[in-house]
Amino acid sequence: MLRETTPFGEAAEALLARIAAIAQPARYAAGSRIYSPDDPAEDLFVVVSGRVEHVMSPELRAREALKRVARGGVFGWTGLLLGQNRRLATVSATEPTDVLRINTEALLGLLASEPLEGGRVLERFTSMIQREFTVPALLAKVRRVSGPLTEEMSSLSLTMYRLSLWLRSPRPYLMVIGFALFLGFWYLAVEVWKLPRFREMPGLTSVVKEWFSPSPTYGLSIYTAEYYQHILVSIWRVTKAFCLATVLGVSFGLLLGWSRSFKEYVFPLFEMLRPIPILAWVPLAIVMFIATESAVVYLAFLASFFATALNTMLGVQSIDESYLRAATCLGANRRQVFRHVIIPGALPFIFTGLQISVGVSWFSLVAAEMVSGQYGLGYVINTSYMMVRYPTIIIGMATLGIVGYITSALVRIAGDYLMEWRVRELALADR
Amino acid sequence: MSRGHIVIEDVVKVYDPEGAAVMAVDHCSLEIEPGEICMIVGPSGCGKTTLLNAIAGFHDITSGRIVMDGEVLCSTASPQATSGPDRIVVFQNGALFPWKSNLENVIFGPVMQGKLARRAALDKGRAMMADAGLSGVEHNYPGEVSSGMRRRVEIVRALMNDPKALLEIYYKNKVTIFFITHDLEEAIFLGHRVAIMTTRPCKPKKVLDVDIPHPRDYGVLTSKRFRELIEETNDAVHEEALKAFQAGEKEG
Repeated sequence: MLRETTPFGEAAEALLARIAAIAQPARYAAGSRIYSPDDPAEDLFVVVSGRVEHVMSPELRAREALKRVARGGVFGWTGLLLGQNRRLATVSATEPTDVLRINTEALLGLLASEPLEGGRVLERFTSMIQREFTVPALLAKVRRVSGPLTEEMSSLSLTMYRLSLWLRSPRPYLMVIGFALFLGFWYLAVEVWKLPRFREMPGLTSVVKEWFSPSPTYGLSIYTAEYYQHILVSIWRVTKAFCLATVLGVSFGLLLGWSRSFKEYVFPLFEMLRPIPILAWVPLAIVMFIATESAVVYLAFLASFFATALNTMLGVQSIDESYLRAATCLGANRRQVFRHVIIPGALPFIFTGLQISVGVSWFSLVAAEMVSGQYGLGYVINTSYMMVRYPTIIIGMATLGIVGYITSALVRIAGDYLMEWRVRELALADR
Repeated sequence: MSRGHIVIEDVVKVYDPEGAAVMAVDHCSLEIEPGEICMIVGPSGCGKTTLLNAIAGFHDITSGRIVMDGEVLCSTASPQATSGPDRIVVFQNGALFPWKSNLENVIFGPVMQGKLARRAALDKGRAMMADAGLSGVEHNYPGEVSSGMRRRVEIVRALMNDPKALLEIYYKNKVTIFFITHDLEEAIFLGHRVAIMTTRPCKPKKVLDVDIPHPRDYGVLTSKRFRELIEETNDAVHEEALKAFQAGEKEG
């Protein structure tokens, strides 16, 4: 029977058998009240046959307060919510109904004994409450079973939950409209209206044709190996530059924020070097590094290093004094404060810095590739300009946009993963 | 057992002595008996927190000295006390680490000091949280629970450094409590004595003995004696607040 329900449907056989062992059959006559709000919430109910009416209390603001539950339906899940041991709904049988009653405490005990499986069951409860009972406000309160694995999964499921919410909101469609308007304007301006400034520009259709053509006029499309080689070379350079900048920039920034004397030595110099545009470094980089490869990576590294270091330092300085005081007064030494307060406290700023840093790293990489180098997307754009292959320029630009967006998204995902506490706080604040 | 006997002797704290020279605490003397709950009330900005920070070792004093159980915490010669787990501050706005789960917060003290192994600390933390009615939120982050719960988690975190749980600590372990509040009812309800501070610079204006026997229950709130004491404190605080207001007008 439990197989037919949403939350238990995919649970392992052994766990299901143990849950079934604690389930008690019960029967209600048509018209009888099963429970009312504020009754103690001890059991979870699974409908075996018949039908019940489930009415949520108005203050929960469920989108649909009334719900009919039939065979395979589960109700009475309030006991699974954190800090909630009273019923939130009125439930009565509309026809003679057989149910299975499962004691919530016993169930939680069973789920906790197998954190991996149990965590999945609770997650399916979360999605069931959200989808079938339409009360998003309660979601964050569904209990979790302890164990490192489930912590990871709940972070993942939160992301999935946000994704599903996003798909049901108007936002993705607005995004599509935004793109359509932009592309439409491009098409009309270049190919239909032939506006003065746009006359020389490659049109949307010629770019798309070139991009997706198996035999491109100018030698670069999604069917040529060269295209991917350029992308890979650029990604590989950015990866090297970004990783190096992250390791050095974060440690340098932490040190700047943490040690006052270090800051006094270094910060003025740092602030003087930081505004120098990356392009101004190009000649020196070429002189310093004989190989163009390391020169290009160095330039990309430099820009992202400054962004990361500065944000990390600000992150350390942003930590509320009372956290430091609390830590010292609980007996933490300097090293422990650094490890348990400074680093996690600065993380939100560090990740803002990394997002900026990955952006400027692409920016300066392309600038460097335009000046020197034999491969890479910046090189593609520059040589296409020299050889009057205008559609290829746009292909290079659009590819940069897409790849840049993906790298930036990856950084954000890594940040969400490391700062689950923050993701949850923001989720509760509905952001 | 003399634990937490705090003597504040003639403490002066001047902020920015070479510049604006704001006198926050002026020759303040106060003795707090071991195990006493001493409530500090007074107009806001009067220097109550300055006094607390001096005891906790968050900043230095200009002159005078503070002694705890016969040991000088700070004096004119060594103006800043060392902070440590013998004097734990529960912060007004809360200072639970938002990046650690409630349980991780609770076990922070003993684990950092190396007093307990992680596993033992986890067990003790769970037990103490259960005593404070906090079971079920161990693996949540502070940002996910109500502010009342957060407060309790923070108190449990402070108490973890001493054996025995929440209210029991007071009746059994006699921890000295130095409690700053603006809520007069709270002050009288909880305290053995209530020290009403003058407006800046801060020193005790009046120290009131609350002669209502402990343990108290909420019935006390409506008793005649309680009302009288409230009246008495209220008048004193009101007088100081008025002074503070007038001083502010002059400065402005």
